[in-house]
Amino acid sequence: MKEYLLLIFSSALVNNVILGRFLGLCPAMGVTTRVDAAVGMGMATTFVMSVAALVGWTINTLLLEPFGLGYLRTITFILIIASTVQFTEMVVKKVSPSLFKLLGIYLPLITTNCAVLGVALLLVADKMSFLSSILFALGSAMGFTLVLVMFAGLRERLAVMDVPRLFAGPPIAFIVVSLLALAFMGFAGMGAS
Amino acid sequence: MVKFADSATDFSAPSMIEGIALVVKVEGRTAWLLPEQGTSCGSCASASACGSKGASTTTARLEDRRFQIENEANLIVGDRVVFGIRDNVLLKASATAYIIPLAVMILAGSLAQWKFGNDIATMTATIIGLVVGMGISRAAAGRMQTKGDLAPQYLRRARPGETCN
Repeated sequence: MKEYLLLIFSSALVNNVILGRFLGLCPAMGVTTRVDAAVGMGMATTFVMSVAALVGWTINTLLLEPFGLGYLRTITFILIIASTVQFTEMVVKKVSPSLFKLLGIYLPLITTNCAVLGVALLLVADKMSFLSSILFALGSAMGFTLVLVMFAGLRERLAVMDVPRLFAGPPIAFIVVSLLALAFMGFAGMGAS
Repeated sequence: MVKFADSATDFSAPSMIEGIALVVKVEGRTAWLLPEQGTSCGSCASASACGSKGASTTTARLEDRRFQIENEANLIVGDRVVFGIRDNVLLKASATAYIIPLAVMILAGSLAQWKFGNDIATMTATIIGLVVGMGISRAAAGRMQTKGDLAPQYLRRARPGETCN
């Protein structure tokens, strides 16, 4: 139990997917102009990342490794992620057309989120067990959502601040995200050499 | 003296997420609206004349997102209107669609791991949990739909050239 909790917290905070591994920077800059959009994107990514971990672990363990097809891993995982996004879109549409109308806009963007592929490849490289893989993906996605929401909150405030013209827009956003990355470094400790 | 706008801005005030839609059909007291596609660059000021909306995939995706509202403002086909949903609705909808299935899936997987301690049993339980979670999510979404929580509200007619960016 303790090891699973540590896994979730370390993947969310210490090895944060955006600020620690520098994956998924595209949605971090693109969908963080509003908090509600960041929450929607974060939750959708959490779902897709966890389901992609489930399917990725299963296919890698039952198909790619036994048949020595490890060299097909990256392309297989890309296919898995695209299929998972498509599957999620179909399910949400079937489960509730109204929800799909509200949330469907975020789903296609996840296909091109490198954080989803990065997490799927990392959990295979670390030879995790099935449950650890799912929890690692969940923790990574929670960290991703946390940063997205924090960053969106800061950007909403920045939008009404009196920022020097030279820094207005993306430049000040990059400065803010770099300060956030420094803050997250604190979770890993500064004494590592 | 530098002035900071945050002192005058109430960030805790309840807000509404606004969007712009085009009236595509009017049937009695019901108007069918097609939401305009927002651009990712955030700087486009010509959504009403945007050529990129013509791509077939985008059009099909937008067609899927067509919705209806009560036509109390006597809207006619071709009108551009501003509609809104409460921002907590988006949070509730995201939780219903994604968090419920995910929570049930992980709970089922954790219980199976604790009970059997074997990856194949955990995997099977996780998949079953996902399917059950989707069923619960469907029921919750149906309840929200019945209560009218997910319905967008008409706010006003859009000004010429107004975009959702």
